[in-house]
Amino acid sequence: MSTADIFAILRGLPWTVALTLGAFLAGAILGIPLVAARQSRILPLRLAAMVFIQIVRGIPPILWLFIIFFGLGMSVFPISPFNAALAGLGLIAAANMAEIYRGALASIHFGQWEASSALNLGRWSTLTDVVAPQAFRVALPSAASYLIGLMKETAVASTIGVSELAFQGNQLSQLTFRGLEVFALVGMFYILLSLPVAWLSRVADGYLQAKVAR
Amino acid sequence: MDGAVLHMRGGKPTMTEDDALAAKGAPSEKGQARKPLIKLDKLSKHYGNHTVLDGIDLEVMPGEVLAIIGPSGSGKSTLLRCINYLEPPDGGHVTIGDISLNAAAPAGRSELSTLRRSVGMVFQSFNLFPHMTVLRNVSLAQERVLGRSRKNADDRSMQLLSRVGLADKAEQFPGRCSGGQQQRIAIARALALDPDVMLFDEPTSALDPELGLEVLAVMRELAETGMTMIVVTHEMSFAENVSDTVMIMADGKIIEKGPSQDVMRNPQQERTKRFLRAVHDR
Repeated sequence: MSTADIFAILRGLPWTVALTLGAFLAGAILGIPLVAARQSRILPLRLAAMVFIQIVRGIPPILWLFIIFFGLGMSVFPISPFNAALAGLGLIAAANMAEIYRGALASIHFGQWEASSALNLGRWSTLTDVVAPQAFRVALPSAASYLIGLMKETAVASTIGVSELAFQGNQLSQLTFRGLEVFALVGMFYILLSLPVAWLSRVADGYLQAKVAR
Repeated sequence: MDGAVLHMRGGKPTMTEDDALAAKGAPSEKGQARKPLIKLDKLSKHYGNHTVLDGIDLEVMPGEVLAIIGPSGSGKSTLLRCINYLEPPDGGHVTIGDISLNAAAPAGRSELSTLRRSVGMVFQSFNLFPHMTVLRNVSLAQERVLGRSRKNADDRSMQLLSRVGLADKAEQFPGRCSGGQQQRIAIARALALDPDVMLFDEPTSALDPELGLEVLAVMRELAETGMTMIVVTHEMSFAENVSDTVMIMADGKIIEKGPSQDVMRNPQQERTKRFLRAVHDR
């Protein structure tokens, strides 16, 4: 395996990173209104959010990418492979992050809501001052492990022609017929990418734990 | 029953500790006929078919300390929580000072807010905010609800923390404090909003006896400053010696109510006698 081969694979790295971070960011942000709707007192809104989350999570990611790229992209509006992958994975991330947020919110003791009511804090202050910061801490480990999962999931983007790590690996293996080495190397890059995420998550969690000391 | 849900006549009377102290220091005032600060009319609450509160009528005078005792499931905590609408009652009226809410009509957010401004509450499980320092716990609502500046809120918080003997814990997180300390912080947090009345929901039940004592000492001191207090408790000596009035509840009804020494030493009702005997025999 030559240095040139390694560099060939590495050309996929920025795409994998961009797709992972882009989809995760979109999911982390869009997950907030989604969980708000999911927890809403307005029944139609709550139902709509539930159905949306179920549909998004119920269909395999590769199918979503096909629907967006080959389906919508070919008939409704033209879309680049990268943007199609970003949209599809961002959508899936939003549904998953909404569920992570929901679990985190449910873990907050009802006494926190009661104390906020008794102190007459408004709904906004209760959420932003009291509940969300605590829920964030609870959500952090699950969100980090989801981020790692999402990073691996970006490999499906290769199927619609995004030239990320798996795509480059596939190309190289077809050129060199050395699939085992090539894909082992690609696998190693995925592992290397996941390490800093896992490490950061542990550091952040440890810091928050130490601060609150419970 | 009139249709208006909320009556407000004039501004909210706010009583600082100093005013209260002055009021307590002038015993002539104590004897005068005054308007009750809290008035409950035919207050009721049901969970499905189960009646938790069965038409409770109650008056609490300014500066009065009322202890509510009774067996578990008698509705005493629910009664307390209905006063500040943490649990909305489903029948009757709640009147605090100049604010009156009709439980039959759904309460609006601004009415609730007005009602809750005059009521401070202390919970059995403290319910401090674990992700904030002790100081921030006491200051937060002052800034958000009363609109005080950070500095004014912190000054007031430090004053109150000193009063409950915990000024040195200001920069700690609640998790680093003992249960007794956490409850005293919770008392400071509720006092920071200058309530007219303080509700205590079994404030020492989650504490071992020794830590309970330090909380009771703070409550006794608060009672001496003339704060109006309603205390749901199993601490019989607090009921007998600190409170002015004791009320016994069972099955969602008031069984007996009167001056604390009378009720505790010479109860009239059979149900009260049975309860007190059970408590003393333990």
